[in-house]
Amino acid sequence: MAEASLVRPDRRFVEEIIASGGGDLKRCMQCATCSVVCELAGDRAPFPRKEMVWAQWGLKDRLLADPDVWLCHQCNDCSKRCPRGARPGDVLAAVRRRMVEHYASPRFLAAWVNRAGFLPVAFLIPIVLLTLTLVARGPLLALGFEKHPGFYAEFFPHWLLIAFYAFFTGLALIAAVLGAARYWKAMRAADRRAGGGNAAAGVPASIGRVLRSILAHDRFAKCGAQRPRRLAHLLVLYGFLALFVVTVWATIDMYVNPSLGIASRYPFGLLHPMKILANIGGVALVWGVVKVMADRRRTGPGSATSTAFDWIFASLLLGVGITGFVTEVLRFTAGPDPDATFTAVAYAVYFVHLVLVFQLLVYLPYSKFAHVLYRTVAMVYAEHTGRHPAVAPLALPAPARARKGITDSSSVLQLVAHTRQKAATR
Amino acid sequence: MDKNVAVYICRGCGIGASIDVDALHRVAVEEFHVGICREHDCLCGEQGRELLRRDVLAGVNAPVIAACSPRFMTEAFTWDGCRTERVNLREHVVWSHEPGDEDTLMLAEDYLRMGIVRAQKAELPEPFREAVDPTLLVVGGGVTGMSAALGAAAAGHPVVLVEKAPALGGWMSRFARQIPHRPPWRDPAPADVETTIAQVKADRRITVHTGTTIERIAGQPGQFDVTLRRNGDRTSLRAGAIVQATGWKPYDASRLGHLGYGRCANVITNVQMEEQLATGRVTRPSDGRPARRIAFIQCAGSRDKEHLPYCSAVCCRVTIKQALLAREIDAGSEAYVLYKDIRTPGQYEDFYRRAQEDPGIFFTKADVEGVEETGDHDLAIAASNTLLGERIRLEADLVVLATGMVPAAADGEAIRRFNDARSVIAKGEAGAQLEAAKKTAESLQHLEGAAILNLEYRQGPDLPVLRYDFPDSHFICFPYETRRTGIHAAGCLRMPADSQLSREDGAGAALKAIQTLRLAARGAAVHPRWGDMSYPDFNLQRCTQCKRCTEECPFGTLNEDAKGTPQPNPIRCRRCGICMGACPERIISFKDYSVDMISSMIKAVHIPDEFEEKPRLLGFLCENDAYPALDAAGLRRLRHSANIRFIPVRCLGSINIVWIADALSRGYDGILLVGCRSGEDYQCHFIRGSELMQTRSANIRDKLKQLALEEERVRLEQLSIDQWDRLPAIVNEFADQIAAIGMNPFKGF
Repeated sequence: MAEASLVRPDRRFVEEIIASGGGDLKRCMQCATCSVVCELAGDRAPFPRKEMVWAQWGLKDRLLADPDVWLCHQCNDCSKRCPRGARPGDVLAAVRRRMVEHYASPRFLAAWVNRAGFLPVAFLIPIVLLTLTLVARGPLLALGFEKHPGFYAEFFPHWLLIAFYAFFTGLALIAAVLGAARYWKAMRAADRRAGGGNAAAGVPASIGRVLRSILAHDRFAKCGAQRPRRLAHLLVLYGFLALFVVTVWATIDMYVNPSLGIASRYPFGLLHPMKILANIGGVALVWGVVKVMADRRRTGPGSATSTAFDWIFASLLLGVGITGFVTEVLRFTAGPDPDATFTAVAYAVYFVHLVLVFQLLVYLPYSKFAHVLYRTVAMVYAEHTGRHPAVAPLALPAPARARKGITDSSSVLQLVAHTRQKAATR
Repeated sequence: MDKNVAVYICRGCGIGASIDVDALHRVAVEEFHVGICREHDCLCGEQGRELLRRDVLAGVNAPVIAACSPRFMTEAFTWDGCRTERVNLREHVVWSHEPGDEDTLMLAEDYLRMGIVRAQKAELPEPFREAVDPTLLVVGGGVTGMSAALGAAAAGHPVVLVEKAPALGGWMSRFARQIPHRPPWRDPAPADVETTIAQVKADRRITVHTGTTIERIAGQPGQFDVTLRRNGDRTSLRAGAIVQATGWKPYDASRLGHLGYGRCANVITNVQMEEQLATGRVTRPSDGRPARRIAFIQCAGSRDKEHLPYCSAVCCRVTIKQALLAREIDAGSEAYVLYKDIRTPGQYEDFYRRAQEDPGIFFTKADVEGVEETGDHDLAIAASNTLLGERIRLEADLVVLATGMVPAAADGEAIRRFNDARSVIAKGEAGAQLEAAKKTAESLQHLEGAAILNLEYRQGPDLPVLRYDFPDSHFICFPYETRRTGIHAAGCLRMPADSQLSREDGAGAALKAIQTLRLAARGAAVHPRWGDMSYPDFNLQRCTQCKRCTEECPFGTLNEDAKGTPQPNPIRCRRCGICMGACPERIISFKDYSVDMISSMIKAVHIPDEFEEKPRLLGFLCENDAYPALDAAGLRRLRHSANIRFIPVRCLGSINIVWIADALSRGYDGILLVGCRSGEDYQCHFIRGSELMQTRSANIRDKLKQLALEEERVRLEQLSIDQWDRLPAIVNEFADQIAAIGMNPFKGF
């Protein structure tokens, strides 16, 4: 008989999950309806049933070492079908939030970033840092780095901007890598303890497959009830990626190209391909975020319960998008010799934009943005250990679903009946 | 009163079309010389009833109605001062046999013969009517007993309420709070026994005796002579009926060593937990420190073949209550509930949810493997088959075992054995019997004075217990009834129950007791022969003191005098006739049911000689299940052999072996006995009738051997009413078997 494992129920952790949006988790009676309806859960270690009992018992160590919580895209099919109203989808979201906070270093930052009450502090940090930098700008200018004068560069020189963000984003990156590594180790240790976790695929190959999956959002596409969320998320993702590419290209254009003998075209004109890409990306981002927020405002059994964690991140994205556009508009409307008021307004908007960008990028490992990190790590780990086969066992191929008149995953009983029938005829 | 037998043959419902009614007429008039024999197209119709009514007014007092089953049209064919005999031509003849067939007609003729003979032999019962005291004795002053007392008092009956403890209230007065009994069904409610106690004390119809035990109860329903004892003082009173509501005791936790009880200081029972909660503190018995991690082990010694095989129904809800209260006392504490199944029926699901929603209460299904101390009297519980999908170890400061309820009557049988052994010792008879008695008395010494009712009954001082040691005589069919007429079990004595159900049960038992009183006043039987006015007569001059009747009566009706002669107590009797079946001297009979009467019916059947190739089988059908089952088979037109003649009996236990001997010597080829299911899961309305018949069938086999007849000629079958579809097949198969064996060689002697 297997060795008994010591179980230490942790009431505080239960309370934390409840406070993080998993308010109904204790209602679960372990019927496993959730795991059955989930299109994403595999057959070897299906979720979210087991996560529900772990959460009920406050088994922190297991939840924090569980890859499955990140394999969920919170379509809330499970919450819709849960006979006890325990809302497993929301519980997993709460666990994810707890996980971000747990693996963050330093941890207090995660607490500040995600709680509405700490928002002033979260704002104050970039404001202070940017202000200090601006104060230091004068003496620094004397060093003569300035090469690319421009409207906003008068206010905040590009090289300083790049140095500033490269430094802090670099710090965040270190924190992110640390968190990701700790999570990976925890998952592996838990699997080893249970006598599993053997590699089924190489890590690079797994990364490749996961990236493909992310770019296609194919797992997200399986979330039946919440299909519109996939488009919203795709818009945000690709909008963000476009803006990221443009930013990187701008830096290259300014500082790498000249040394290669290519003339810098920065700042780009409105018809420059990069500017076009940036504008499309910006529109996609704002449109996507608005869709996301509209979705989050919906209520009902199948809709996600949203917490400050979700709202802060979504608002931040929206803020970055909008201030970005305003900044852009002001740049193009500014004449060769704008008056002082116009400049003051433009610089103020730009400053706000910079503060928001700081929050978005530097707080990545602490905010909901960290899902980029942990979800990817979890998906890679799952792929690496062969934890979840590509096709969920009960899901029929699409034509069969259509033929059977099954329109969403709610018809689990039909699916089961169909599977049984198939087995019987075989 | 002279008997005036008249025969009425109905042609309705297909009878006239299937059989030659004139032939039946000839049987009545030519063979039995019946003065009046009329046929009618529809006896139960207005005209037919008018015809009967006029004849009854003209002096017919023993009409034989040859029509449908006696289970139908009973009211239509009942007249004051008349004893109606019914011949079942419809269900048992025309609906279950070939129309127009010679054998069908012979069957109808035989049934008519039997009916006329029975009408001739049976008398109209005269009720045994004596003064009945309306007082209700309620034993036990818990919520059940108080509810019974209040119910009976509200119905206008004087009540004497006896409680052993110094105060009323029972278990519920010891509990801090109880499970909720009204919406929203979520939080523990005040125990609220005080209100009920005050109501009882304020009711002038109720006399309360606390700190009092029962020294003796003699007599019979309506006339129980009760002696109470309080600190050596005796009080005598008379009561008409008794409600026993002596409740439950916790299962003996010392037998739960595998769960740590007795071995680990900090393992307690749910009753001990109640005591702790009542003090407002939950502590570890080992050091008195507050218990912060409290593990509840459900079904501790319940639903377990080694212990109590049944579910005590309340422990899940009690544990939920206790967990909530413990968390209320100390918000920093945690409660772990390890269950086999959570059983919170009906609205109590909301109570379960309430506890589930508490972040400090943890539930998991689990098979608890053991409880061990880990040092400083801390505890570790090992459990498998959990919802966590693995074997777990759980650490706790305190383990609470949710032990089940044992009815307070559980020792009844043992007390009887103890008393019997003591009386053998007192008689001083030498020999092996004395040695055995001494041994029994010694091993059961702890039961000295444990009897509750101290009945002066031949069959022991307390209620006999049945399945799982509960004294209820049939849980489904006859709630509150026990094997002692007029003594009704209520509350946790007859089933594990919460306080709300116990209160309802107390009121129900009080109503049942009042029913018994009313019937006793009329001289009528209580269920299952409800309203029956007959009772057994004993021709004691011929009694040989064999004690079979006193021993076999399932209801302890008969006492014995010093010589062993039975002393009838007609009001205790349920009229099953088991004593009549038991008596080898055949001295016990009812006015309308006797050994002679059935023997005469057996002999009334025309037995064709062996050359006619028409075997004759005799069937005895239990009136409660088998007879209506045959009706049901007839209703569905299922055919059975026309060679069998059925006689309904009150109970298979009332069959006297002489009938079998008579039948065999008369030339019947086989005898089929169909009764109810016996054994632990019995369906017998008289508890032991079917079982006794099985015992007696050993004697029957001896009889057959003496007569050099095949054992297979007598067959015993068990059948419940819903197995009507099996009955024709049983009959036909038996008929085939008898045909294979061949004719009875005694034919024609």
